[in-house]
This record gives sequence, structure tokens and C-alpha cells, in this order.
Amino acid sequence: MSTNIFWQESPIGKTERQKLLNQKGCVVWITGLSGSGKSTLACSLSRELYTRGKLSYILDGDNLRHGLNKDLGFKAEDRVENIRRVGEVAKLFADAGLICIASLISPYRKDRDACKPFTFRLFSLKNILFDVYMNMSLQLCEARDPKGLYKLARAGKIKGFTGIDDPYESPLNCEIELKEKEGECPSPVAMAEEVIAYLEAKGFLQNQ
Amino acid sequence: MEGLAIRASRPSIFCSLPGLGGDPQRRPPADGFLNFPASSNAAENTKLVVNSGSFHPISAVNVSTQASLTADFPALSETNEKEERINGEKKADNIVWHESSICRCDRQQLLQQKGCVIWITGLSGSGKSTVACALSKALFERGKLTYTLDGDNVRHGLNRDLTFKAEDRTENIRRIGEVAKLFADVGVICIASLISPYRRDRDECRSLLPEGDFVEVFMDVPLSVCESRDPKGLYKLARAGKIKGFTGIDDPYEAPLNCEVVLKHTGDDFSSSPRQMAENIISYLQNKGYLEG
Repeated sequence: MSTNIFWQESPIGKTERQKLLNQKGCVVWITGLSGSGKSTLACSLSRELYTRGKLSYILDGDNLRHGLNKDLGFKAEDRVENIRRVGEVAKLFADAGLICIASLISPYRKDRDACKPFTFRLFSLKNILFDVYMNMSLQLCEARDPKGLYKLARAGKIKGFTGIDDPYESPLNCEIELKEKEGECPSPVAMAEEVIAYLEAKGFLQNQ
Repeated sequence: MEGLAIRASRPSIFCSLPGLGGDPQRRPPADGFLNFPASSNAAENTKLVVNSGSFHPISAVNVSTQASLTADFPALSETNEKEERINGEKKADNIVWHESSICRCDRQQLLQQKGCVIWITGLSGSGKSTVACALSKALFERGKLTYTLDGDNVRHGLNRDLTFKAEDRTENIRRIGEVAKLFADVGVICIASLISPYRRDRDECRSLLPEGDFVEVFMDVPLSVCESRDPKGLYKLARAGKIKGFTGIDDPYEAPLNCEVVLKHTGDDFSSSPRQMAENIISYLQNKGYLEG
């Protein structure tokens, strides 16, 4: 080995990973009532990104509750901790260069906002976390009732269900708002395309 | 249906269910991500800066919606199925049709690697972070995506609410194990570099993952050597009684009984070099097929 070669000891960081993936890590935080279509959008978005050769991963409230957050219940403080942990994991994913899609009701504004300005090493979620608000009417969500939860909540069998007897605080400022047009919900692909157009415009779907 | 039956074994590349209208033309990108030429000449690797000329992004893939086993997100598939029906989108009556999420096998095909967790355990000063760093560099040179979870990036973030009490230490390891599992599901080679002194806690993390995806690497370095290095000055503080319950001094370290890779300190510069130790781990991963899609 030549003596004039110097091996740099810098660890592999976000820059290198982003070069490898040809994208920039970010967090798409989808919020909205149960039945508003968050999981459907997350799915569609992840698929559309994949067709463009982009790596994404869905952090779904339900999925996490059986793993990382299995020690948490549905009390107010547990919901706060649930969101906090999801936010922390999303940060790690974004640092890894992934497009992290977080899909969960996240009803309290304070908790969603708490994820954003937090600084972790030299890395902040500011400017890389985007709120996508599924602004679908309670009526539409309840009519769908995909998991039968509204019915149970109306019958009083579930307490503190968001939208029925617990508030949903809609974002005051979100990057993308998806809503019904003349009472019709746009298709999942159309909504995914809207999010992708946004990410593209912001430069997240390329490395430069 | 066989290819979809078992989660624990390597999933088949194509997740479509034949006969249910799945599109067999859905092809993940053939080359995965940019493939760095594996250079054996250190002279070419003086800086870990990649020549942008070697990048070739993946071409768009035609992915049509298809019925698929969303084993990763059972709740997701259930929701989507009902939402599809209620949205009134027209689907053929005899097909159970729901929007599939991208599955682990798709991501692994894209990345040209298989997700796993490399759990590096050992005393403070045994060289865990050094090997983690060398490993991530060596894998990067091969065009592989890794992410390292260590005390630093986790303690001040996800685990900032935890103390050093025994139950919190267990919870610390548990949460890291769960996050590492998520990374492995993404298809990332996740390197966890932690003392993790208790066998039970490490075994719990192992049980979270499918067989083979948890690769335990033991930094087999004598306490005397670790203490003589004392990179963070902690042994000195522990010996002076200023830190209590410090692993190796007044708290036990339980070595793995049966781990996948043992990196034994020999005192020989070459075989103990971080690079060589990283290559040992890489050989293991290569033999087990983790460095291909």
C-alpha cells in the first residue's frame, strides 16, 4: 500500500446515503380522521414512488402498536408518547435517506408540531417534514367506517374516539391539503401524484 | 400460493397471486440502485466520494395494482379492501382486489440486498463503533445501504426518556431492537452497536426477527485490553467509584453463547484491523445471501 494514501475516517452519513439512493430523506406525515383514507394514500404513495425507483417506507399507527409501541395504550399521555416515538423513528428513517410516510390519526396539534423543531445532532426535521392533511368530512369517514369503529363509538362501546368524543385538531398550516371535490374523494393515485409533485418541486426525488 | 405462504423464509421476488388478475409484467428495476464497482485497490478509495458518472437511477417501473398478500401490514390490507368497496370503484365481481403496498421483497429487489440486523455487542472500548463504522463504509463501497443505531443517535432521541435503571436499560434495548427490525423490513442492513450486556435482552431482540436476519457479532476483547484503551475515560471513573454499575467493573457482561460472528482480539494488527473485521462480517453476509436482492 502506498504511503501517500490517506484513508479518511469520516463515517458514512446522510449525504452518502442520499447519493446512493438518489433521493433526499424526508417525512410525509399524513394526518386525518379514522376512515379519511390515510392508509390508502400511504399505500398508493409508496407504490407510485417505487415505480420511480424511490425508496419509501410506511410507518402505520396500527403496525407500530404491535411492535415498538406495544407497551402503550390509548390514554392521552400514551397517545402523546406514541406520536413522539413515531416522530423519532421517522427522523431516523429520514436520516437514513428514506422517504418515510407516517400514517396515523395524530389528533393533537401540539404533538404533531412537537416533532418538527427538535434538533438531533446536526439534524432537524424542519424543512423535511411535510404535513398532508386528509381533510375529509366526518360524515364521509363515518359512512366508510372501514374498521367498524365509528359504529362502536356511537354505541358508546369505545370512549374517547377521535371525531366522536375526542377532538381532532386540524392543522393550521399544512403543506398539502387533500379534500373532497363536490362531495367526491379524489382517487388514491391522484392524491399520491399531488404529493409526489410537491416532493419533486422541493427536490426530494433527486440527490442534487 | 406457495411463494407467499411463509413469512420467515425468503419471500419470492414477485408478490402477485397468479390467477387473481395480478400483473406479471410488474418488474422491479433489474439493476437495483447504483452499483459501485467493488474496488480492491485502496488507491482508488482515498476519499469516499463517488464519481457522479457512475450513477444510473432506476428507470420507472410499470406497477399496476394487483392483489397481493400484504403480510407486512395486515391491518392495512383489511382497511384498503373495505375502503375500495365503499368508494364504489368498479372492480370485477369475482376478484378480491385491493391496492397492494410495496412489500419487503420489492424493496430488497430495488436495493439489491436483503435487510438484516447486525448486532455488535461487547464491552466498552472493545471496538464496536469502530467496526460499525468500517462495516458501513465497506458495504457502502459495494453499493449497499446501511444505517447504524448506537447509543448516540438513540439516547438523545427515541430513548431520551430512559434512565440507567435496570428496567430502563432493558427497555432501551427493546426499543432499539424494534427499530432495527423496522429498518430490516425496509431492506436496510441495520448495524446496532451497543454494549447490550445481558443475554436475555439480546435474545429478545433476536426473537423479533425472522430466522437468520439477526446477526450477532461478539467483540471478544479482554477487559484488560478494553480498559487500557478506555476511549471515553469511563473505566477510570468506574474504578474510582464515580460511576456505579459500569459493565465489566461492577456489572456483568454476559458473552453470547452461540453467535453468528466472533471477532476475537488477537493482538495481530492485520487480523484485528477494523477493515479486516468488517470484511469478516461481510463474508458472512455474502455467504448467507444478504448482499443480493
